[in-house]
Amino acid sequence: MSQPNSTHTPQLVTRDGAVIPDGWTLLADDDTTGADGPFILSFERALRELDGRNGHYGVRVLPADDVRLLEPFLEKITLIEVAFPGYRDGRGYSTARILREDFGYTGIVRAVGDVLRDQLFYMLRCGFDEFVVKDKDPSQAITSAAQRFQTVYQGAADSNRPAWAKRHTLA
Amino acid sequence: MKLLTANRLTDGLTLWYTGTLETGTWGEDAARASRLSDDDADALLIAWKLRETDVVAPYLIPLTDAGTPVQREHVREFVRANGPTIGQTADAIASAHNRADIFEN
Amino acid sequence: MSATMYKYDDFDHAFVRDRNIEFADQVARRLSGEITEDQFKPLRLMNGLYLQLHAYMLRIAVPYGVLSSRQMRKFAHIARTYDRDFGHFTTRQNLQFNWVKLAEAPKILEELAEVEMHALQTSGNCIRNTTTDQFAGAARDEHSDPRPWAELIRQWSSNHPEFTFLPRKFKIAITGAQKDRAAIRVHDIGLHAKPEGFDVYVGGGMGRTPSLGHCIRTGLPGEKLLSYLEACLRVYNRYGRRDNIYKARIKILVAALGPDEYKRQVEEEWARMDQAKVDAPVAEIDRLKSFFPDPEFKAAAFDRVAYQRAQTADAAFARWIKNNTNPHKRDDHVSVTISLKPVGLPPGDASSAQMDVMADVADAFAYSELRVSHEQNIILPHVHKGDLYALYSQLDAVNLSTANVGKITDMIVCPGLDYCSLANARSIPLAQDISQRFEDAQLSDQIGDLQIKISGCINACGHHHVGHIGILGVDKQGIEFYQILLGGRADEKAALGVITGKGLPAEAVPAAIERVVRLYLDLRTSDSERFIDTLERVGRETFAGALHEPA
Repeated sequence: MSQPNSTHTPQLVTRDGAVIPDGWTLLADDDTTGADGPFILSFERALRELDGRNGHYGVRVLPADDVRLLEPFLEKITLIEVAFPGYRDGRGYSTARILREDFGYTGIVRAVGDVLRDQLFYMLRCGFDEFVVKDKDPSQAITSAAQRFQTVYQGAADSNRPAWAKRHTLA
Repeated sequence: MKLLTANRLTDGLTLWYTGTLETGTWGEDAARASRLSDDDADALLIAWKLRETDVVAPYLIPLTDAGTPVQREHVREFVRANGPTIGQTADAIASAHNRADIFEN
Repeated sequence: MSATMYKYDDFDHAFVRDRNIEFADQVARRLSGEITEDQFKPLRLMNGLYLQLHAYMLRIAVPYGVLSSRQMRKFAHIARTYDRDFGHFTTRQNLQFNWVKLAEAPKILEELAEVEMHALQTSGNCIRNTTTDQFAGAARDEHSDPRPWAELIRQWSSNHPEFTFLPRKFKIAITGAQKDRAAIRVHDIGLHAKPEGFDVYVGGGMGRTPSLGHCIRTGLPGEKLLSYLEACLRVYNRYGRRDNIYKARIKILVAALGPDEYKRQVEEEWARMDQAKVDAPVAEIDRLKSFFPDPEFKAAAFDRVAYQRAQTADAAFARWIKNNTNPHKRDDHVSVTISLKPVGLPPGDASSAQMDVMADVADAFAYSELRVSHEQNIILPHVHKGDLYALYSQLDAVNLSTANVGKITDMIVCPGLDYCSLANARSIPLAQDISQRFEDAQLSDQIGDLQIKISGCINACGHHHVGHIGILGVDKQGIEFYQILLGGRADEKAALGVITGKGLPAEAVPAAIERVVRLYLDLRTSDSERFIDTLERVGRETFAGALHEPA
């Protein structure tokens, strides 16, 4: 598995290119929640416990997890971390689109793991809004990804209109 | 004994290492490839893997005592050393270097 | 005159321009050492650039096999300027150059952009070039023109944000005719366009685990095609295996779930999806259709007497007419196949001079349009019968008049170990030996339709599973052997060939095939019973025996 740009320290960056601190703590499955929230729960734990919990949580979704199972709890979830253990595992793109387009989820969808400059264009289109990127200049990576293509050919989770929509409103 | 081969980064052409552990050059003529001791070959491979702006995908070809690739590698390395065997490729490698095919037997 | 084909608008031009800028930057970063080969490899592959055995290979997309004369001339120019004066047409209806330089690849892409072409998605785990019937828009047996749909899919699949990192590559084929010339049952998704909508086949494929696609939907309206494909792909992207490269194609998922359960999941996904966001509106489909009118057919009166006289006077011409033309929807036209399978030369190769001649004859006689077939030949879809002799003469002057279409020497052959770094055995020299053995025109015509398909490894780029006679190269301790399969076919009665007996050394293969062919000639009930018909009637075992009997 190739790991482009992996020599750089990961930094959290928003879709607008702002590098921000990460206020969230990922809980191991046997950790109890203490004062230092907010917390990110594993997917399994979220399914088990969210029904009985109050407050707001983050959930980490691995590629094989069926994000649709989170639907009943979405009001309690303010952050969903979609993990990309490897650059070439593209399941997280579907996860993000399901959240945004099927559920209308408005919380934060964050990409973590093997997240590289060359994937950001696709992630932006699928509805991610935060990225833990390994790049020497994450801000520049985001802004150049956002501007890379004037033309897109599909409707997706972002505000870009596909070529067919532009063609037929201009005409 | 082993040969060290790779492709040149800029044009992708097959290259063969001629020289010793200390010093050497890359050339396109397989007939000039140096027969390296296993230790030297292993060390050179590690060194050249790091020099990625020169060559891509370096690897070692193990040789029999007769100086041909071991049977397991034979057809592939014959084709790699001599170029496509099928004509219509404007310059067959062997004729470009004015020599007979290598690894013939 | 310009070909009746899709033409880029500003949006399409901008897309290719932006993509080329991105790739040029990636190449520059690699050459300067800013990124490593490991980092660069997936990026160059997304642009069709492979490192093969001897050099870089660049695979250029020919969308659904449709080419203008201007584009063909550009290929000739690239072959001369950047390669070793020839190119190779592939089973994906694409073109590959075998000797390009990395440093020159961005320049080649710039040249291609001038003629509305690129190399995007000709590699990588994404949706590849959609293929279709090489006679689309011309064939007499066509009920729906597949080209506007192929263009719709081309655009939808270009840089698709969700489907660029699929478990494995993904291939779609469309036919719109009674005879399936697009091999839809051996594609990840095969579409049959009919007046009442699409039949959708899923889970076909070749490679290590060959399988035929299952029909999961009939009558799918064209304006819902994209959302349905999106649902099919999403289920695959989420649940296709990623732990084993040989089990990652959609056929494995469909087999594991069962076609009914796969269909259920697709329909559920489709029902939930905001289809209006995915499906291009009818106005866009109409716009795409408007690019594919009939050419302005030549009105010249067709002199049937002169046409017959020319054939009587020149037997070679008559034979070429018989073998290399396909019935056209107009009585005074035919579709012509230019065979790239001359005896003894690499199948699918064309020199720059030949490409120029093909472009010239397309301008002179074929409304400036050409096609690439998955059988690795070039097609002139519309030719007035009155022009055939002049066309034939010009092709004949550059060794492009081989009259063997559909015959035993018209083989599909992958590049094999002569070029490909994945191959286990050579394919092309074996094809050359077989074509020399059956060089005799009378014998080849007597044998009739017989498709040999050769792959140099299990990836099956040479479609060996669906050859009437399939040949698979394997490597046993550094020595090439060839396994022979019998009984495959890729048409509307698609079937997978079965391996017969042990692998043979290369030098034994032509004689073994000749024994099978002689047996067929003995067993057939009439000249019109084709090899595949006889084989299906008497059974594979009889022929397997002939293959493996001592010479």
